[in-house]
Amino acid sequence: MKLDQKQQQMLDGKFGEARRVAMEKLVDFGAAVGAQEMVPVSFVLNGCPIQMDRSHPDLPTYDMGHSPLYDKFIEIKDARVADENQTICVNDPYFVQIDKYEESGYPWNFSWGDGEYKLPKDIYDGYVRGHESLTKHGWIMSQSCNSHLTTRMPRYGEYCASSESSVAAYLNTFTGARSNRESTVNTVYAGYTGYLPKYGMLLEENRLAKVIVELTDEVRDKMTDPADWAALGAVIAEKGGNRIPAVVNMPPLLSPTAGKCLSGCVSAGMNDPMLHIIGSGLPESRTLEAAFGGTLPKDVERQIVTLDDVRECYAKLDWAKSDKVDIVVFGCPHLTYDEVRQIARLVEGRKVSPNVHMWVQTDTPSYHLARQNGEAKIIEDAGGKIYHSTCMGMNPVRTWSHDLNIATNSFKYVKLVGGGGQGWHFGSTSDLVNAAVTGRFVSTRW
Amino acid sequence: MNEVKVLTGIARAKGRAVGEALVSEMRFGWTFASVSNDGGIIMSSENPLNGECVKGKIMVYPTVYGSTLGSVGLYYKCQVSKVGPTGLICRNVHEIDIAGAIAGEIPAVDCLDGDPIQEIRSGDWVEIRADEIGKEATVTITRKASS
Repeated sequence: MKLDQKQQQMLDGKFGEARRVAMEKLVDFGAAVGAQEMVPVSFVLNGCPIQMDRSHPDLPTYDMGHSPLYDKFIEIKDARVADENQTICVNDPYFVQIDKYEESGYPWNFSWGDGEYKLPKDIYDGYVRGHESLTKHGWIMSQSCNSHLTTRMPRYGEYCASSESSVAAYLNTFTGARSNRESTVNTVYAGYTGYLPKYGMLLEENRLAKVIVELTDEVRDKMTDPADWAALGAVIAEKGGNRIPAVVNMPPLLSPTAGKCLSGCVSAGMNDPMLHIIGSGLPESRTLEAAFGGTLPKDVERQIVTLDDVRECYAKLDWAKSDKVDIVVFGCPHLTYDEVRQIARLVEGRKVSPNVHMWVQTDTPSYHLARQNGEAKIIEDAGGKIYHSTCMGMNPVRTWSHDLNIATNSFKYVKLVGGGGQGWHFGSTSDLVNAAVTGRFVSTRW
Repeated sequence: MNEVKVLTGIARAKGRAVGEALVSEMRFGWTFASVSNDGGIIMSSENPLNGECVKGKIMVYPTVYGSTLGSVGLYYKCQVSKVGPTGLICRNVHEIDIAGAIAGEIPAVDCLDGDPIQEIRSGDWVEIRADEIGKEATVTITRKASS
């Protein structure tokens, strides 16, 4: 792999030990994937580490596995990201909103029946230390799965390194910026160097569509709820058979909420984080021919998505053994402010069942908007909890009672956290709010 | 008499490893939510291997499934909590798993001259020799005569 002068100097240690170490790791990885060059990245998204004694017995339960990779950088006094390399470095959410650790009723500290869960204090303290260290290093502690919507939106053609799959899919699909579902190993190194080997979705030839997935008019016209978009994304991914799809007959203007929910299909549904929305403004997706690299192959496979497919997806994701609901969770990926407003409208003047936890998780700017504009108070007056910087699924859900039933509108949660042993319901926003109020889930969407 | 077969592929992460094979016909992921970081136990209700332990195994699967956190999940299980596999064999080792295998210091091999999902069974004894990234690697499969 060819390195330019600056990259070589970084490898030689002229920009400090942190960048030398990180560049060395990226060079190894570049060789493994056959990369020919390194490219600058404008946006890096990774997770915040837990900074503590690695022999602590609780750590394997709470650490996603990324924290020890930061140890070396935290040891280096002059380690910095962002300043010199024009790279904005942001974070995914983790298991707690730091300033509310002691408050109860949240996913880091709550009870059910005869059981309870609280994030251990030692782990919390380690997380706060990691947070402080990364802040000093220049990471923007955005702690959201929507950091691109709330910090800096990468532009067409820019290279990015997002370990949040839904962000990678959003960038590739809706902005034309280029990101792999980057491994959470590489995003540490990309943050400190500002570079990444050019491979995978960063290469034009790997961004081409391989299959056409066409929506019927009925599907195009009836997708309204965030859960609809999540289910539609799941169906498109399934029909595409883990190949990049050219999606035909998608509504021409997708809101950030719809795009976010659609993009949430990627991690659990497909490996290459991109949908070509045919007719979009992006040059590489404007026409079917463009999506396939200039010429539409004669024998290209064409799959059709019907409303029955979407209905069936709803049903498959709703597999709890009873209609009882213990937890209703919104916000995987994090809710947009529009979604928070929708939930507030639906729950206003009602009361969440005392047997149910209703959790509304969003990014920090949307949280403060909701705090300022009244939606947070409406949700809390109803008995729900709204919080930021946090993902319920980053807590060890598998250690919670397996008798719990959890209701969500997230395909990603059901697929990626659903193996923990609890029962799961999948439904529309209004059905979920009703479930929170009554303690029973009834699907009325279709 | 044991049956021995040797397949040739490409090293995506270097190293040598031996162990009993654990074969997943489904795509497979290494996140903390899919395989526990403390015990190496598979927690995927859709996978027939749900509940099995990966510690010391050669994991064989088509390609990655799920979150990018699989990379650090693999690293952590191999290098920190010591409950990880000793090697990976895939039809295609996805870059998420390549990064995890390099950081976890275990070999990973793909592009074999036989479909590993068909050629290897859970319980087979497998040896991986993958000495240089991007170069030829060998996978030796030993199956007990009675199995």
